[in-house]
Parts: sequence; C-alpha cells; structure tokens
Amino acid sequence: MAAHMMESKGTRLSGSATSFQKKSRSKLIQIPGTKPSVQTGQLIVSSGVPSLDCVLGGGLAVGSLLLIEEDEFNSYSRTLLQYFLAEGVMSGHELFIASAQDHPDDIIKGFPSPLQDEDPESKTVSSSNPDQQDAMKIAWRYQNLPKVQTALSSSSRFGHYYDLSKHMEQDLLRNTKIHTFYLPEEQTEPTHHSGVLGPYSVLLHTIQLLIRQNGFDGSNSQVKPCNVLRLALHSLGSALWGDDVCVSPAHNHALLAFLYALRALLRSSLSVAMVTVPTHLIRNKLIRGRMIRLSDTAIALQSFSDTERNNNPLYKDYHGLLRVIQVPRLNCLSCEVPDTKDLAFRLKRKQFTIERMHLPPDLSESVSRVSKVQKAPVCSSDGNKRLDF
Amino acid sequence: MLSEVLQGTEPGGFVIIRDTACYSGRRLLKYYINCALKRGEAVHVLGFEVPEHELCAKLDSSCLNLFHFHNAYTDPLGWTKQSSFTVQHFSATGVTQLLQETQHAKTSVLVIDSLSFIVRHHDPVVVCQELQKLRKGGSVRMIFGLLHMDLHQQGVLGALSHLACTVISVTPGNIARYAVANTSQRKKSGKVMQKEEFFTLTEDLTLSIETKPNQSGKAQADLHTESEVDPMSNLTFNLRLSEVEREAKEKVALPFVFSEKKKSALLSQGRGSGRIMYEPDANDDFDEEDPDDDLDV
Repeated sequence: MAAHMMESKGTRLSGSATSFQKKSRSKLIQIPGTKPSVQTGQLIVSSGVPSLDCVLGGGLAVGSLLLIEEDEFNSYSRTLLQYFLAEGVMSGHELFIASAQDHPDDIIKGFPSPLQDEDPESKTVSSSNPDQQDAMKIAWRYQNLPKVQTALSSSSRFGHYYDLSKHMEQDLLRNTKIHTFYLPEEQTEPTHHSGVLGPYSVLLHTIQLLIRQNGFDGSNSQVKPCNVLRLALHSLGSALWGDDVCVSPAHNHALLAFLYALRALLRSSLSVAMVTVPTHLIRNKLIRGRMIRLSDTAIALQSFSDTERNNNPLYKDYHGLLRVIQVPRLNCLSCEVPDTKDLAFRLKRKQFTIERMHLPPDLSESVSRVSKVQKAPVCSSDGNKRLDF
Repeated sequence: MLSEVLQGTEPGGFVIIRDTACYSGRRLLKYYINCALKRGEAVHVLGFEVPEHELCAKLDSSCLNLFHFHNAYTDPLGWTKQSSFTVQHFSATGVTQLLQETQHAKTSVLVIDSLSFIVRHHDPVVVCQELQKLRKGGSVRMIFGLLHMDLHQQGVLGALSHLACTVISVTPGNIARYAVANTSQRKKSGKVMQKEEFFTLTEDLTLSIETKPNQSGKAQADLHTESEVDPMSNLTFNLRLSEVEREAKEKVALPFVFSEKKKSALLSQGRGSGRIMYEPDANDDFDEEDPDDDLDV
C-alpha cells in the first residue's frame, strides 16, 4: 500500500524517553489529519466519531474501504457519513461525495459544526467525581474500584469533536475542495450501463479521473502537495442507482464488481472511502457476504423501533446496536480485536456516541438467585456429587 | 398521526399505503384525496384499478373541479388505442406533461391507484427512479401510492418503501369495524416516528382514530394504585421517627464506620502485600458444608 511505504521511510513519532535516536534518512511526510497507527504503523485518519475510531482500532487506514450497513431508515448511517466528511473539512482533506438520492449539496449542508473546545465528555466526568466520593458511606471499601467505563475513548486525542445541533459555517467549507457526483445530473446515454460495472461505470470512471488528475496516486506528487482524498458513497445498491440488487435473485452483481475495482483504486492511492449500503433491502445473503469480503472494515447499524426501546430495559438508553462485522488486517497477520462485541450507539442532541452496552446493577428485591442445586458431573454414572478418583 | 400525513409543507413528500386482500387501503386513500381537495389542492389520480365514478363517490362535491382522473382503467395497456393514458406512459416526463395540461391550483397532489399495477408492467428499478424524479421535479407537492403487499416479492416492497417518507400499513383489526394502521414517518432531519393506531372510516369519509391502549401505560397505572396504599397507616406500634429521634439516631456511632483518616489508611494499599500460606493436614477439621451458604457470593 502506497501510504504505508511512504510512512515507513520516515521515523516513527518520537515519544520515547531514551537517548537512542533513530537515524532519519528522509523526511517524514506530514499530512494534516493523519497519524501512524499504534498497532500497525499504518497511516490512519479519523472517522470523525472518536468512539468509532476506538472501535476500529484507532481510525481508518488510508487506502482502505469502510462498509456501513445502513439502519432501516438510513438516518444514523447518514449521520456517520456527515461526521466522516466534516472531519475531512477540518483536516483539510479533499472530499468526494456521490449520491443518487439526496443532492450532495444537501448532505454538505447537514455537516455538524466543529467544537472549538476540548472533549465535552471529559469535563462532565471530572466534575462528577467529587460527589461520587461523598456518596460512599457504608460500602466505602469499594470506592477505589474503577467505574465501568461505558463510553469508548482512547487516551490520545485524534480528530475533532462536533456539535450535531448546529451546522458547519460556510467559510469553513470554502477552503475545502469538494467534488460532488449526483447521479441524475451525471446521467449519460444508456450505452454506459452495459458491461460488468453496470450502472456504476460512470461513478468509477469519475473517481479514477479524480485520483489520477489530482495526484492522489503519487504519479505527479512533485506538482501537488500530498493530501488525502475522502470518498463518501451514499446508499450504494439502492434502486436509485439503477441497481437491481434488491430485486433480482442473480448472484453475480455489478455492485460487487464496483467494490472490487474501487478497493484496487484505493489501495494504490492516498484515499479512504466510506460506503453505506442498505443491506436490509438485499434479500440475497450471499451478496451481502461478498460485499463484506470486498471491503476492509465492515460495521452494521441496527436501529431500535420505539416499541423495542420501551419493552427492553437494556435498550432504553440507546438508539440502536452497532455490530463490528470485520476489522481490517493490513500488512500483518493479526488484527486489532475490540474487547467487547456488545456495542450500542446513541444519538444525543449534540453528539453521536458508541458505548459498551451493559445492564445497570439489579437492585430490586426479586433478583433471581442462582439455584443451589448442583448438577451431577457428566461422566459419572451413578449421579453422585463427587467423582471417586 | 394518520390525520397529519397531509400537512407537511416541504415539497416532494411520498406516501405509500400498503394493504392486503384482507383490508383495502383505498378508502384511506380516498380520505386523503378528500382532505387535499378541501385544502384547495389539485388532485391528479392515475387510475388503473377502479373506474372514475367509484373513486369520485362521496368526495366533497364542491371541490370536484380540482379533481382530475386520468383514466387508465378502461384500457390500461392500450389495446383499443382509445385511451390517452396507459401504463406505458408512466414516466416522470409523461406524468409531468399530464399535470401541466390541466394546471389550475398552485400545488398539486398526485395519487397513484395503484403502484402495484405499474410495478407489474415496468422494471421496479425504473419505477423507483421515475418516482424519485417526480419528487425532485417540483411539479407535485405530494405523491400518494397504493401498494398491495400480497402481490410482490419482499425485495420490491422494500425498495419502494425505502423510497417513501411515510409508509402506512393497514391491516384488519381484532376489534369490529376498527382497522390497524402502522405508520412510520421519516422526517427530513432523519428523525423517524412510528405509531400504531386503530381507526375507522365511515361512508362519508370521516376518520376517527383511537390510539392503541398502551400496555406499559396500564402497568404503570397499576403500580401507582398499589403505592397509594400506605402499609404504615394501620399499625398498632410506631414505625416513624420524630425529628429529635432522627437526630439522636444519627449521632450514634455505628461499628465499622471509621473516620476519614482511618478509611483512607485502610483504602491505600500497603507497599508489600502479605500472603498467608497454609497447608491443611489430616488433623484439620474440614467442614464439607459451605459455611457461607446463605450469602450470595
């Protein structure tokens, strides 16, 4: 991968306190908004949601493809897409937005506004600590035990924080190069629709051209300063793209060919893509599995309906479940595995967060006790409590 | 929620009424046609399934000049070559032309009766794209479509419903004359509202809605009535504390409640932690039963 090779020429971040200094032969490329991953040394960018970065092992590797399986009404996946693009604006990356349903300008208008001050959560946590100490009167021996940390966060800050209730100001957007692709406006003669790529051939061609002309593939890097291209492809596979993946039972599909070609393109360039797909519409589970194989990272959003939230006490505080289907394994054999798989997301008024899902302690009288009846060991024949060895 | 469907002001609203053979959604559709006519909006109906007089019946007669029926019922496929509108004419441009021929009011509502007929004669993907073009085209304020759920594959239903901003599924209810409507509405901001309602529509198209008696609400009410009974009211002995008694009680130093200093000393871990090594021998009296049997450990 191009990004990794470029990075490995330079030095790692100097965080060690030893006197040993690595001889640096060439100068490290500095692209704003990127950093080498702690685990793999891969160049990564932030997804815009710090807790999502944490789930995915630090961030999104440059040159990789993130597949998001949309929730039923496509509201949360759209929020994630806007976070991803807003982070690109704040980091000074170039953006490419492709959509067939909403006009890309509408998506741009909905970018969350960046927060200039620090992490809003850390403040609330520190302020709540003192009264926590007072509260422990009887069970004070437990007060030094660590509290269960539901919000996922990493120690070092990466990326920006955003306020969903406000929209990004226009002058911030003015400094960013935004390329848009709106299918109804790009519509060309139907001869383009033949071939393996079907309705996606125009889109792929546009991305290819963009990457080549702006030097994201490193071909004419002496002309342009290095920068990262963020691609956001909205609701790929829906009928509005002219795609019959939801309707037809065929196994070979244009969407799969497109994802294959897209990933090849990303691998050889300084770009990172976020693709949302309405997989709940795709009846053929085989195609879904193939799509996950063709992407690096895959997550699924599953939103709760109102009745589900009311009936299940576990779901009351959350808006849906986030499932990590696949984490990338880039240039190494192992991958960063999230420590828990029970993740849920919640959309507060100002913020989208991903948290560990856990039950609060059950303090009611009718807690079900573990029964005292001991099961006989499986291998004993006479059903005695103990084995006579 | 059913009565608020028509009230949105932003252009390009798309409402799908999904029904089955058990309960027809056409009367609900007629209700919305009537509401739109009363608001002074032009209503254009692409009629494939019922004749004009059947759809017109019971509509508000004073507003019928705003009602336009594009007849594809008598000759839907153009076999007799007499009909001006057939299913083949269904496309964004075709429909827009049709609307502009008879443009009176400032806003117009397009009613498709039914989408099922169109989907069966066109590629569903193309239908979706044309509908989206119509929404974005700006010539119609709202599109209403009737969709028969039992005629299509899940994929087609899903793709069409994904496009709509409001989906109303009607099913016959358990209670006589009431039917159930499951409405899910997606706002432009991304907020989704879902509601289940019991409704009846009378012959003269008046809608009466009864919200489903919420079970969780009932349970809460039960709890409330229980808590009203005070267990301390009819006791022969005193369970309450007066202020003086409470103060006296709080002054009592309880065992194992230590001062702050001692607490912190106990909480801070010593530098070297000791460990007791003990190996039981034969003389030890080992109790087989768990001495802490009654504790949840």
